Amino acid sequence: MTIRLNVNGKQNTIDCQAGEMLTEVLRRAGYLEVKKGCDTGNCGACTVLVDGKPVLSCSYLAARAEGREITTIQGLAEEARAFARFLTAEGADQCGFCAPGFALTVLSMKKELHNPDEAEIRHYLAGNLCRCSGYEGQIRAIKKYLEAEHA
Amino acid sequence: MEILEYARPRNMDEAFRLIRERRGTAIGGAAWLRTNTKIMTLGVDLAGLGLEYIREAGGCIEIGAMTTYRELETSPLLKSRFGSLFDATVSHVVGIQLRNIITVGGTVAGRYGFSDLNTTLCALGAKVVFYPGQTLALADFIEKGAGGPFLLEKILLPASMKAAYQQMRISENDFPIINTTSAWTGSGWRIAVGSRPAATRLCRRAMAFLGDEPRPSDEKIASASQIAADELQFGSDIRASAEYRREILPALVRRALVEVRG
Ligand SMILES: Cc1cc2nc3c(=O)[nH]c(=O)nc-3n(C[C@H](O)[C@H](O)[C@H](O)COP(=O)(O)OP(=O)(O)OC[C@H]3O[C@@H](n4cnc5c(N)ncnc54)[C@H](O)[C@@H]3O)c2cc1C
Ligand code: FES
Ligand code: FES
Repeated sequence: MTIRLNVNGKQNTIDCQAGEMLTEVLRRAGYLEVKKGCDTGNCGACTVLVDGKPVLSCSYLAARAEGREITTIQGLAEEARAFARFLTAEGADQCGFCAPGFALTVLSMKKELHNPDEAEIRHYLAGNLCRCSGYEGQIRAIKKYLEAEHA
Repeated sequence: MEILEYARPRNMDEAFRLIRERRGTAIGGAAWLRTNTKIMTLGVDLAGLGLEYIREAGGCIEIGAMTTYRELETSPLLKSRFGSLFDATVSHVVGIQLRNIITVGGTVAGRYGFSDLNTTLCALGAKVVFYPGQTLALADFIEKGAGGPFLLEKILLPASMKAAYQQMRISENDFPIINTTSAWTGSGWRIAVGSRPAATRLCRRAMAFLGDEPRPSDEKIASASQIAADELQFGSDIRASAEYRREILPALVRRALVEVRG
């Protein structure tokens, strides 16, 4: 089947199988910033926004995304870059594979929660696994980023 | 997951016909279906049928089949009627990105043994409404199924109830080893236990033992918690043995009952 996907404000006409998930389809269309980690719904690496909400693209039916707004990390490049500076400064970005999904979730959290405390931050990010960092640097980075944004 | 033909019905009649007459597979969030290697001849996408809602009607709370877990945990209506119950029940399920996808309908229809949500819904005495109109008690549906293809439309809950959820997991994002919800209905207690690892069951003997006493003593609660563990069957799997589950359960039931009693 052929579907039309609005990705980062751009219309794409893409051939896909009826049962295909969004990760595959987006990557085939060149959106390689959408990472494929576990491919079982457990790691968060494949996170994209659909109509502004963070979802796992590996578990989201591509055909269902037709008519909705999809945002990858490239669609929020400026905000993501601002956050990435804090990640780097805290030594929290190592191999970087988890970073696109992680940053998108942080940016969603910033919109959804007002001034979250550490427990709320950890809870919101529970679905983003990182193989390298041990999470402490990421938590420091998020706190400093949110402080700077609210300053 | 492979789907040979994909349909997006425009209304419930059409969806029902595709499921009933053409043996189509209902697609909820699809997060669980996609882990399946089965080939689906006809996938019936339920998005766009207006089944995403949490509302009050006819003295009940109605939850549409396509409502996501994230909608449950952030619903002001559910919070005002059940406190933090729904948040406590679903917030351990992986992360918010999955909870923005997975649905109440897919969970109830699947009757999964490991389910957190079905345990809470059972304890609340939820009813399942199938399109075009049959209604079943969730506890009965979980035990016996629907006896053929069905289209789940919504869940009905009492307008409010005091209830508490308890679970144990090896790690945060894993399935529960065991879970339980206790509820005070205003005239009696309901206790449901799931992830045994088989599906949720009501602890009818423990419920009868507690009777209609709204403030049972600590001793009575301890005895009821042990009765709950004694009356159920447990199994062993990769996460825990049947013996371990039986040992752990009374502590969780006791905590839930104490939380509700206050
Ligand atoms: C990675 C992962 C981790 C999980 N961890 C947990 C956990 O820790 N605890 C927990 O409780 N749950 C867990 N779950 C299960 C989850 O909570 C849902 O119960 C499950 O994903 C089913 O919901 P769905 O919307 O994805 O359903 P789908 O995959 O769309 O459907 C599941 C089944 O229900 C049928 N169906 C769906 N909607 C309807 C309807 N309206 N009418 C009739 N039939 C219907 C489908 O045909 C299918 O057979 C997990 C799921 C995943 C993918
Ligand atoms: S790739 Fe989607 S959750 Fe891991
Ligand atoms: S930095 Fe390597 S997975 Fe997170």
